Amino acid sequence: MVEHVAADLTQVRAAAELVAFGLERRSRPVEGSEYRALLDRYRTELRFRDVVDTMAEGLGLEVLGTPRSGIVLAPEPGGPFATRLADLRTMDQGERLVFGLVLIGIAAYAYPQDVDFDDPETKLVDVVKIDEFLRSAIDTLKGQEGGEGSPEERARAAAEAYADMPQLITTQTGRRGRGCTLKAIEDALGWLVDQGAAREAGTLGPDVYHLTDRFRLLVGDSAGGAALDALRALRSQGTEAA
Amino acid sequence: MTAGAVVSPAADATARARWRALALTDPIARLVRNAAHAGVADEAFDLRQLALAAVDLVVGSMGFAREATIEEVADDLTGLAARMCPELAGQARDVAQLVLKGLLNEAHEHRRFTYWFADLSGADVVREPYSFRLLALREAEYGPVLTASDQAITLFLHGLDVDIEDADRALAHVLQRQLDDRRFDAAARTAAQAERTSVGIAATLAELLDATRRDVGSHDWLVDVPDRLAVARRHVEERIAEDDRFLEHVQGGLDTETSADVRITSGRIVDLLQRVRQVHLDLGRRLVGAREVFLSAQVRQRLARRRRLRMLALGEEVLRPVLELPREQAERVGTAFADRALGVSVPRLVRFDDLVDQLWAPPRQRETVEPVPEDAGLEEVEEEDVQRYPAAVVEAARGVLAPARATPTRLSELLTNCGSDEVAELVLLTALWAFAPDPAADAEESDSSVELAAGLVARDDGAVLDHRLARGRDLFVGPDRAVGEVEPEVGSRVEVTVDG
Repeated sequence: MVEHVAADLTQVRAAAELVAFGLERRSRPVEGSEYRALLDRYRTELRFRDVVDTMAEGLGLEVLGTPRSGIVLAPEPGGPFATRLADLRTMDQGERLVFGLVLIGIAAYAYPQDVDFDDPETKLVDVVKIDEFLRSAIDTLKGQEGGEGSPEERARAAAEAYADMPQLITTQTGRRGRGCTLKAIEDALGWLVDQGAAREAGTLGPDVYHLTDRFRLLVGDSAGGAALDALRALRSQGTEAA
Repeated sequence: MTAGAVVSPAADATARARWRALALTDPIARLVRNAAHAGVADEAFDLRQLALAAVDLVVGSMGFAREATIEEVADDLTGLAARMCPELAGQARDVAQLVLKGLLNEAHEHRRFTYWFADLSGADVVREPYSFRLLALREAEYGPVLTASDQAITLFLHGLDVDIEDADRALAHVLQRQLDDRRFDAAARTAAQAERTSVGIAATLAELLDATRRDVGSHDWLVDVPDRLAVARRHVEERIAEDDRFLEHVQGGLDTETSADVRITSGRIVDLLQRVRQVHLDLGRRLVGAREVFLSAQVRQRLARRRRLRMLALGEEVLRPVLELPREQAERVGTAFADRALGVSVPRLVRFDDLVDQLWAPPRQRETVEPVPEDAGLEEVEEEDVQRYPAAVVEAARGVLAPARATPTRLSELLTNCGSDEVAELVLLTALWAFAPDPAADAEESDSSVELAAGLVARDDGAVLDHRLARGRDLFVGPDRAVGEVEPEVGSRVEVTVDG
């Protein structure tokens, strides 16, 4: 039995404010701030939490959690706040494939097991290490595969698309040029920074990034499941076709 | 006086002993060669391993009340040979006998093996014989038994038991030799290389521990890693002792050395060796803590309390399958992941003029060749920059524009007031600038019109300009506040035709 209680308008306003804080990437719930007060209220007041969750839902958002760094919202795909990979840059299918692999690679590097999603320790990632991680994953795959699939099938595999790309192309000014995997990883991490899912850790090196709680929860509670669903859908398609 | 060193004093000092050890292995090589003639293929039976096993078997029974008889050893070797090549098991006994015969030197009636060493230390070559046995038969109360010679035991049981892939140890030997020969420059280079090798080992270990910290399942801690750690620990223990010995050696040399060159080089070697030792000490400390890293990673990753049941092992369940998928399908999964992982975006409406500016703006990262700084010649210093308007023209234009700063003035009027085409051109550009400033223009590209346009705004009211230098709209140029209320129309155009 659902109890119908009209929400207090001031509560609705406060809930909207909290959602707004969540949508902003820059605001941080520092001690004594309005944001912090709302966040504490969300954590402790069940009634308020319901209002926030409901409001977020109406806006096409889902509250994934409230780690210390702030409320983490995940957009519903197709909703007004959804981000699509294709929005970030015009890219062809090959590029989208590589960026997809890179983002999965970053996540798999930082959170290999499900318990890692509960570990609030900030993960450090490094552009070169991500590349090495992906390449070694591809190498293990090749080593294990042996005779599975025809040579043509294996050549069409996503792993080959990544393995084919050079690790590094430099431009005349010595930067990383487009078309190499290190640049793709750098760009992907750059987007994560823009999205508030990563921070540059300049003190630890030019290529080092912190992954934020936002990324951890987005991957653990939204993106990981979406990828598994997509894989499952493909598998069932495959079995139907066969 | 002798005929001098053959190679180097240090090399010569140990040459005879090393030569003997080398000679001791020759009977084995010989029995492998002879076996080929007897129809035993080297590829089918590993005769060297059988020879080693024979020595081991014999040594194993020595000193006991009952020692191994030749039949017992032959039986054991037959069993081993049969395992090496099951399809030729019928030949195994022959092979075992071949090995024993070889070790007993049956070809020369069980006499000792004899090799000749050419001693070059004197004025004349002295050939000295070196004779030894490997295995020998001895009569016991229960028949003939086999015994191994001291040489065989020393070399085959201990002398050959070295990790010859150990690069660090190899370098240590080279270094030792160079120090003994007083080749200090070479020794310094070797020490530097030794440092690099040690750092390499330390880095491999650090990588292993990092990977474990990240994902406890990334390495096999049941068999593989403990083995590697044990090898590394043994290596480090040996090296630390060796490092101290080296340091003492070089430092001892320093105290008695008088040549300045040698002292400097020795000092460098001491520095390098101290660094190497530090690396080894660090490595040792890290090895001691390695198990701890594994255990704490295990506690954290495997035994942690699950707050939320996700059942998601990204590496195994997502990354691997996606890499195996055909490209189009992998792209679909990757996009599904990426769209969610990127989180929320707040849509912003695009303002039309911002968009136009963005489209016209030069690409953010311009990949241009690094400018090469040129030497400014002395005579050029005084010359005016050809890219900019001469100061006189700028001043004249400023004069022409002065009335516009007070009250809005027609561009055609301003143009007629200009003394020369150059001034008119600058006034025209200034008016254009005031009409549509280009936010993307770099400081380096600016000409004087930018400075002149400061505080000026131009407005288009539809009047037509027909001037010798320009056609288009006759703009109203005036002070910022007077003309500013009217929004400029985007469609307005002023064409400029500048001669020359």
